[in-house]
Amino acid sequence: MQSIINSIIKYRNLIIYLLLLFFSFNNLYNKSGLHFSKIETISISIAGFSANIIDDFKSYFDLINENELLKKENLILKKNELENYRNNTIPKSESLFPYTISANVVRNTTNKNRNFILIDKGSNDGVSIDRGVINSLGIIGIINNVSNDYSSIISILNSDLKINAIIERSSTIGSLYWDGYSPKKMILSDIPYSNQIKIGDTIVTGGMSFYFPKGIPIGSISNYKTNITEGYFEIEVSLFNDFSSLNNVYILDKLDNEQINKLISN
Amino acid sequence: MNQENLKLFSSFVIIMILQIFIFNNMNLFEIINPSFYLLIFILYRTTFNKTSLILLGFLAGIIIDLTSQSYGCHTIAAITVCYMRGLIENYCFGVKANLGKAMLSGVPLFNRITFFLIIILLHQLIYYSLIFFSFNFIDTIILYTLLNSIITFIVIWTITKIFYDIKR
Repeated sequence: MQSIINSIIKYRNLIIYLLLLFFSFNNLYNKSGLHFSKIETISISIAGFSANIIDDFKSYFDLINENELLKKENLILKKNELENYRNNTIPKSESLFPYTISANVVRNTTNKNRNFILIDKGSNDGVSIDRGVINSLGIIGIINNVSNDYSSIISILNSDLKINAIIERSSTIGSLYWDGYSPKKMILSDIPYSNQIKIGDTIVTGGMSFYFPKGIPIGSISNYKTNITEGYFEIEVSLFNDFSSLNNVYILDKLDNEQINKLISN
Repeated sequence: MNQENLKLFSSFVIIMILQIFIFNNMNLFEIINPSFYLLIFILYRTTFNKTSLILLGFLAGIIIDLTSQSYGCHTIAAITVCYMRGLIENYCFGVKANLGKAMLSGVPLFNRITFFLIIILLHQLIYYSLIFFSFNFIDTIILYTLLNSIITFIVIWTITKIFYDIKR
């Protein structure tokens, strides 16, 4: 104990210097937009590189589960294809949800109030900010920062994010947010009391945003509360996605954004 | 000792007022704003406590940052200079540099100039690296560092010649 105190006294100048340096950098990072974005880009690159190495090991041991999931996805796609072929209703576009980039998750958190996901594709692969990210089971989040080889995604498990969603059966529009408790549940609000809802109804994206087209699955209703004084339901939604074991994700294209922006600015 | 502290405090206040109201608003050729407050760290007696020098540097830096909206760049540069001052002293005046105001009197001119220049250049380099914060601006950083260092050196050298040498 004495030796620890002695060494603290001996290196007190260094310790004070490092503490003050940390405080100043923290100040710089929080107050200055330029420094924030630069430091963020550097930290994404470093975090991505280190997480990628760990992820390589992890994904190798997770191959069995991943294979099963892909088989299931394949089966559903084949079924749909066959059905469309029978009904002659093959859609004109090649894919219902247009995407050109697929990526692997290298780091993911679910235990914080604001969760972020890191993927191994960056601006060199054509990724840009403000694009929606999905996987075979539903929506994942929105890209908020991009470095050369990695990108960070605001997970839908982030209390800052609100997503426009509808109940598929009745097309009632609400907004979906995370209350910060369970990574498997989200809350759908703003559904008026006059609507009829059932446990088990599917929730999909509403399409009233630049990020996600209409109809991407999110989850199903597992419980609801009636709040008569406010006139709105508070609906608990069980997510289809298991955020603790994400792997393959797809980055959606932003096809009509320029046209929409032009119309809005006009 | 108390008189020394009082002297240090009063010169700190005067130098900070001059920096905030005159030198921060100078904007010579749109580039040059001399960091006159480095005089505090240069004049700080070598026999005084090094820890309080770092805290003094932090205080000076944060006051300048708050008044010039540089968000911490001055603070980081100032505390680094204060932390490194012991090393710079040893480099310029030899290991036994505990001679009070050694940098003002009783040492060869060349050593004094080196001491002044190293402190000023180090501070300006850190400050402008943080301001531009990109490798793409390396030439601009060097240009700003050199021009500002030269003017800062001239200002500080003149002030020490006028005020502190007369006192001696």
